Amino acid sequence: MTDNLGFALDGAWKVLTAGLILGAGLPLLFALGIRSLAWGAGGEAEVHESGVSGPKAQPIGTVLGWLLFAIVVAGIVLGITFIVASGFGKALSFEHIYPTIIDKH
Amino acid sequence: MTESTVILALVVVTALGFDFTNGFHDTANAMATSIATNALRPKVAVALSGLLNLIGAFLSVEVALTVTNAVVKIQNSDGTPKESLTAGGGEALLIIVLAGLVGGIVWNLLTWLLGLPSSSSHALFGGLIGSSIAGLGWAGVNWNGNGSKLDGVVGKVILPAVMSPVIAGVIAAVGTWLIYRVVTGVAQRFTDNGFRWGQIGSASLVSLAHGTNDAQKTMGVITLALIATGDWTDTKSIPLWVKVACALAIALGTYLGGWRIIRTLGKGLVEIAPPQGMAAESASAAVILASSHLGFALSTTHVATGSILGSGVGKPGAQVRWRVAGRMVAAWLITLPAAAVVGAIMWFLGDLIGGLGGAILIFVLLLSAAGFMYWRSRKEPVGHHNVNDEWEGAPADERVPAVAGRAS
Repeated sequence: MTDNLGFALDGAWKVLTAGLILGAGLPLLFALGIRSLAWGAGGEAEVHESGVSGPKAQPIGTVLGWLLFAIVVAGIVLGITFIVASGFGKALSFEHIYPTIIDKH
Repeated sequence: MTESTVILALVVVTALGFDFTNGFHDTANAMATSIATNALRPKVAVALSGLLNLIGAFLSVEVALTVTNAVVKIQNSDGTPKESLTAGGGEALLIIVLAGLVGGIVWNLLTWLLGLPSSSSHALFGGLIGSSIAGLGWAGVNWNGNGSKLDGVVGKVILPAVMSPVIAGVIAAVGTWLIYRVVTGVAQRFTDNGFRWGQIGSASLVSLAHGTNDAQKTMGVITLALIATGDWTDTKSIPLWVKVACALAIALGTYLGGWRIIRTLGKGLVEIAPPQGMAAESASAAVILASSHLGFALSTTHVATGSILGSGVGKPGAQVRWRVAGRMVAAWLITLPAAAVVGAIMWFLGDLIGGLGGAILIFVLLLSAAGFMYWRSRKEPVGHHNVNDEWEGAPADERVPAVAGRAS
């Protein structure tokens, strides 16, 4: 019982850490992307006083927004690769910082 | 055709039936939020989820033959059934598995009728624990493992069930809070449109992960039964037809959609806005993937529910219906024991008559229980047409006597 509790708590911390990075971090980037797009679009995309025209468009915001989305998509692709790899008896390794597919041990 | 072949056929059909209920019970985990926020039309959402479950089931070629070892002792560590249970055509093992599956299905159907998102894995494990206790005694259950790794009923079922909703809830709450901080000042229509896309993406990831995780369990159970009767000998792979049948069963179940549960998760707990939906599904996907990577078994249902609650806690001013959450937690607590009771009763009934007659009796009881609950559900149908109706004063809140499933 106590052994199991120890193993479970150990696992729980890792899941929480990984989950916060991927499960809250990627949505944060996505939200920043939306924010940038709105900044990029200007006008009605942003909250502004009624009766006056909205802030003017900032093209750099659009670029930044799509860049952030690209990072999010890369994260999702990594997630799918992970599912597929573990299904085929492989694992993702972050040994070299960038992810590589290795045999599961 | 020998007696054990007929029993084997019943086990296979029942296992596929369980897989089917597993699918429709869990559609909600991935798609409830997308349906509630109108990111996807209900029919499109279940079709997408079904398709991704189908793909996911095929991706999981990892052999899940030892799936029952976490909770009961009917297999050796290499996946072959215990010799004492395979004497005489493997009937002893088949009856235990059959009774366990029936326990799982009956409980899944009952909680579906009540619109409660209970865990399908708990129902399956509960059923197997019950039938193993009945058939083999208390020692037939792997309560605590051997202390060398996370194992046994405590380590693989109870502890993850307590921890995973909390972890998922914390992540979703943090995600939701961050998102709302970031998008202040952006027009709501603009954010909602953007986050609907994020929601669809993250929900798809959950569906795919579900297919890989859950379909495997049934594949493992069917293969175990095949080995017990001598119809399959390889412990390193699963017959192709088993894989195809399980993938189709879970996908079809997902496609039909447990609308009652979708309704509870999507509308009952929290009024979900697209940013919350995306935070909830991302948290679920991250927790499920990280856990399976670390070998930390858990239930998608618990994770999804925790995430949705978390997204309600994280949004400033959002209302969480804790009474609904309380009912769910109550259902989680009794899922394992209740399925175990059904599994045990089924084993005793099957054993009383014995052999083929016993197996047929259990199967007929399952069919009548399922038929009864289906008939009961038609009185207050919940479908794609009314899944998003306002929650307050909704028909799904009615209660059905909890003995309904067991009495039939």
